[in-house]
Amino acid sequence: MQIAETFAVAAPIERVWRFITDPATVAPCVPGCQSYEVLTATSYKATIQIALGPIKTNFNVIVDLTKAEPPTYLASTARGEEGGKASTLTAKSELRLLANGPGATTVSYASEVALVGRLGKFGLGMMKKKAKSIGEEFAVAFRTRVEAETASQGGTAGEVLSADNAQAGA
Amino acid sequence: MKFYQPTTLKQALKVLANEDDARCLAGGATLVAMMNANLLAPSALVSLSAVKGLAGITRRKNGSVTIGAMTRHQAVADTAALDGGQRLVREAAALIGHPAIRNMGTIGGSISHADPAADYPTALVTANATVTIENSRAKREIDAQNFFTGYLETALEPGDIVVAVSIPAGVAGAGSAYEKFARVQGDFATVSAGVVLALEKGVCRHARIAVGGCAATPIRVAAAEAKLVGSRLQDSAVAAAGVLLAAACDPIDDFRGSSEYRLMILPTILARAVSKARVRAETVS
Ligand SMILES: Cc1cc2nc3c(=O)[nH]c(=O)nc-3n(C[C@H](O)[C@H](O)[C@H](O)COP(=O)(O)OP(=O)(O)OC[C@H]3O[C@@H](n4cnc5c(N)ncnc54)[C@H](O)[C@@H]3O)c2cc1C
Repeated sequence: MQIAETFAVAAPIERVWRFITDPATVAPCVPGCQSYEVLTATSYKATIQIALGPIKTNFNVIVDLTKAEPPTYLASTARGEEGGKASTLTAKSELRLLANGPGATTVSYASEVALVGRLGKFGLGMMKKKAKSIGEEFAVAFRTRVEAETASQGGTAGEVLSADNAQAGA
Repeated sequence: MKFYQPTTLKQALKVLANEDDARCLAGGATLVAMMNANLLAPSALVSLSAVKGLAGITRRKNGSVTIGAMTRHQAVADTAALDGGQRLVREAAALIGHPAIRNMGTIGGSISHADPAADYPTALVTANATVTIENSRAKREIDAQNFFTGYLETALEPGDIVVAVSIPAGVAGAGSAYEKFARVQGDFATVSAGVVLALEKGVCRHARIAVGGCAATPIRVAAAEAKLVGSRLQDSAVAAAGVLLAAACDPIDDFRGSSEYRLMILPTILARAVSKARVRAETVS
């Protein structure tokens, strides 16, 4: 399944780049992220809790950054396995940053996610919606964090950008 | 895994309160299938089948009908107690799965599982039903519309049991209909619609609509209902209501239909339900 999201952050592109490539700022913004560990400069390990109705599970995910062109482009792969239960998740993602003037950045990402095993056979349509809502929650949390920090450092706090990640027409 | 078979609601609530990760077992049509697919592994099952007072349909003097949580779909499909604006609930029950499923599945199990493509949620939201919930500390009632909160998610908290569903008598002289479109007979809905209408000399004076299979929960749009009220239910008014409802929906893409396909057929399914409900309302009034 394909997941894509675009959102605006009221902070300069270099700052957004620094935040989005630092697991210490990204991990707390990922809904369900229980813990993370830095393995090398380009690879991390994280435990992420996913719930769909009564089904609750943890995925142990390894993220590898495969290509970086600061401050505009980042490619990564992720591979995760459920503890004990047989489901595997793989994802290939691309992240793009675009400067929108000196204090504003547009973040967009696209992921191709594959889920096989017990969860892949169940409610894939609902899973896709779930993934989209996780993406939206991440966008809100990440934007809030970066903008709060930008404001406290006397950045471009007055600039409020409307995010276009709200579900159209919903 | 432990298995409990209480005979009173009090016992059942006590076991649920004391066991971590226990689940109620109603008809088992969904729960056992999910356990077999390795999707759920509860620490304990609390069977509700021997609990006294959970099954059955009662019609009160004021016309409201209470359906016990353990009432099978077939019993609801066959009841004479639901009529007028309540009839669509019976119609929805009759369209669930096939005979084996209707003799096994229960209304409590169906709404607790809260599949977005299931039939009861949409019919109960349309009929303005109330869900009665109990846990070891208290009892509460919640509107069907607020009971469904997301994909397979409801207002139920750990330790809660759905005890009953009540359908109010509603507007006098109302007619209702539930229309379901599925790929094959017996499948979950691709799109469904519930409609309650009341007419006066051919003019619609009351309308309540919910659509199913098109979002995480049944969707109601006040402006869509307002398009019908005051109209003679001509095609253009029904189509306008369909457009407003479709705009509020966000269907999933799956083997039952793409998101676009569901939105495309929604107005037609709505129109079918409206025309059935209208004929019934005309016969009543
Ligand atoms: C082949 C097949 C076809 C089907 N087709 C349709 C269809 O066309 N339309 C449709 O709407 N449905 C359909 N269903 C679903 C079915 O109708 C039942 O509604 C569903 O299985 C749940 O009811 P149950 O009584 O079997 O609940 P169970 O499977 O026993 O339980 C389901 C869930 O609800 C919880 N639960 C059960 N009762 C309560 C309670 N009183 N309080 C709190 N929690 C409770 C359980 O813990 C569990 O999580 C189909 C099912 C199958 C297997």
